[in-house]
Amino acid sequence: MASRWWRWRHGCSWKPEARSLGSGCPGRAGPSGPRAAAAAADVTRAQVSYFNLVKSLTSAFPIMYSISRFHHTTPAACCCSKTRSGERYTDPFKLGWRDLKGLYEDIRKELFISTTELKEMSEYYFDGKGKAFRPIIVVLMARACNIHHNNSRDVQASQRTIALIAEMIHTASLVHDDVIDHASSRRGKHTVNKIWGEKKAVLAGDLILSAASMALARTGNTTVISILTQVIEDLVRGEFLQLGSKENENERFAHYLEKTFKKTASLIANSCKAVSVLGCPDPVVHEIAYQYGRNVGIAFQLIDDVLDFTSCSDQMGKPTSADLKLGLATGPVLFACQQFPEMNAMIMRRFSLPGDVDRARQYVLQSDGVQQTTYLAQRYSHEAVREISKLRPSPEREALIQLSEIVLTRDK
Amino acid sequence: MSLRQLLLRLPGYFGASAPPRRLWWSPSLDTIFSVVSWRGQSSRSPAHWNQVVSEAEKIVGYPTSFMSLRCLLSDELSNIAMQVRKLVGTQHPLLTTARGLVHDSQNNLQLRGLVVLLISKAAGPSSVDASCQNYDMVSGIYSCQRSLAEITELIHTALLVHRGIVNLNELQSTDGPLKDMQFGNKIAILSGDFLLANACNGLALLQNTKVVELLASALMDLVQGVYHENSTSAKENRITDDIGISTWKEQTFLSHGALLAKSCQAAMELAKHDAEVQDMAFQYGKHMAMSHKINSDLQPFIKEKTSDSLTFNLNSAPVVLHQEFLGRDLWIKQIGEAQEKGRLDYAKLRETIKAGKGVTSAIDLCRYHGNKALEALESFPPSEARTALENIVFAVTRFS
Repeated sequence: MASRWWRWRHGCSWKPEARSLGSGCPGRAGPSGPRAAAAAADVTRAQVSYFNLVKSLTSAFPIMYSISRFHHTTPAACCCSKTRSGERYTDPFKLGWRDLKGLYEDIRKELFISTTELKEMSEYYFDGKGKAFRPIIVVLMARACNIHHNNSRDVQASQRTIALIAEMIHTASLVHDDVIDHASSRRGKHTVNKIWGEKKAVLAGDLILSAASMALARTGNTTVISILTQVIEDLVRGEFLQLGSKENENERFAHYLEKTFKKTASLIANSCKAVSVLGCPDPVVHEIAYQYGRNVGIAFQLIDDVLDFTSCSDQMGKPTSADLKLGLATGPVLFACQQFPEMNAMIMRRFSLPGDVDRARQYVLQSDGVQQTTYLAQRYSHEAVREISKLRPSPEREALIQLSEIVLTRDK
Repeated sequence: MSLRQLLLRLPGYFGASAPPRRLWWSPSLDTIFSVVSWRGQSSRSPAHWNQVVSEAEKIVGYPTSFMSLRCLLSDELSNIAMQVRKLVGTQHPLLTTARGLVHDSQNNLQLRGLVVLLISKAAGPSSVDASCQNYDMVSGIYSCQRSLAEITELIHTALLVHRGIVNLNELQSTDGPLKDMQFGNKIAILSGDFLLANACNGLALLQNTKVVELLASALMDLVQGVYHENSTSAKENRITDDIGISTWKEQTFLSHGALLAKSCQAAMELAKHDAEVQDMAFQYGKHMAMSHKINSDLQPFIKEKTSDSLTFNLNSAPVVLHQEFLGRDLWIKQIGEAQEKGRLDYAKLRETIKAGKGVTSAIDLCRYHGNKALEALESFPPSEARTALENIVFAVTRFS
């Protein structure tokens, strides 16, 4: 979908609207609904007004999890069913956490080994301070699928284990990524490699991965094992994709999206698929779950890439312009490059010359790169909503719809 | 580079000692020749170890390959190879590991894979469960068992590569530019992860959750074992940790025994053998790996001619045993005496250790494990494969 849009966009020549960015920190990427969007068939007026609403709200309130905003923001485009369950809306995170109590304690149990320091290192990120975004999606999806299948209101133990496994695989990859990127802080504290050194950090990552594999094996379901081992492969391939680069502009974007899928979306998509397999035998449901996860995952990463340009470092818990400093050309940069072809050279040399990072950042902020990326993220998010709406209505389904929107409006 | 130097650089690398073969094993012409010619050669020549291995390879049908063909043809591997080439000229350990892996010589053994294949063949099809009759079998080994052997090697290699990561804050000017080390670390992590991902995928394809659990737990053990190795790695002037022989055994089981033991057990599980057979396979793998490790630890102490600058690991079996006999204080005193101007004189320390009981008791320990391995084999029916497994034990437990 995105590649079609990219080519179309590339073909039209139009100038972006002048935008006033917020005060203080460079403004949030509140989408203004570019003129071009009016031509797109599936943008309804409801969506445009939603965007404006979000834009005004998000610039006023940095905290994103308040529930009041979302009562009336289910986009008109996705309504397949008008009925809603009798329960009132709740915060999707609160809803999900009901099943995730003890998540971090349980993960720590999986990491129960006798070697004290290694255990400490492996448990370091399971302190309850992460967003736990992935486990939340997983348990909500589990319930949504169970309800869809036979109105069952229970989450199976194996489904909950998938939530643990997803978080563990994610964390293991973070630990390794931090060593690869020589990162010194994450989630507001020092990285494992900064404190204990690279050698031990790599081993800690391996340990978490092996513990996740053991938990996976104990589910006793070979289909689920196959689905989740695919994630492990995708994560590594995603990193390799990041090592290489493409010369052709069009190829670059496809390369970027593929890398985004492998590094971020694959885990969410396949975890969703895994819980749907455990909860429901219908392959149509498995595909819905997978597509939801995939689209939300890509949207999530695109916004993450935007935030790297637009947010301040104390909000994120990790320094910004991090991607540029690593030589990575993400969505905003690729879009900006269309308006400022002089960026091509910088992209090819991976921003390695002094001054490249700052110049590139300036170009991006002057261009519509941020807006375009955000708009693209919205498209993916709406696709996710469209998919999940095919399931039977339930509080969890609504929560997943909300989450898909929260992904767009987060600020850290 | 001499064989021993190559061996000392790769931790956990299977060493080579060359014992005679048991004479009653039905010898073919070339084996008789090698037995006869043995008398004229040093018993530590690598040629005989190779003989044992190449005979074993014939029994299992083909030389154990390094990685599956799919893996070899992948883009990532050529990507890795390209990146590793950039490390030529730097001092990153990955280069050494890579050379050791790719070096096409007798030293490059995938012994774990070979042992898994041999034990699969030695056990044969399950007499209890006939459901495996439909699996395809080549040279008496099921294709899933061959796949398992490959997976075992992948896991071993992945951790071998991950062992070569460098702590950036410990670098000295002699190690070269920081950028090179950072880049080397990056490629080492990615390569190791790539191998692990392939192993996981391979495991998933076996469609057997118990096997996945076994190998995942072996990986967990291996990671802990490597962690201990790192913590107790011998650095000049650093006093060793106070570990007794029982701790040493536990840690060595984690770093060397667990993977082979659990793989052997998993191979039995794939053929649907019962718990008893699985346990015997586990015991063989465990004890064989232990005696192998002790053998390689003993090499610096039993060779007649050694260069004076050759170092050895202060946490290897003979040294740990030596310390245990002497007591901690006396040992520390001996280390102090062997230090000249702050540098450890390994030759002197070696003589000190040889004069004590460490070396002989390490040899005894090696033979103890060898015998346990042979005991475990007794429950398998006699066959060429079983004999080959016995020969491997003999190869690692004979010291002239």
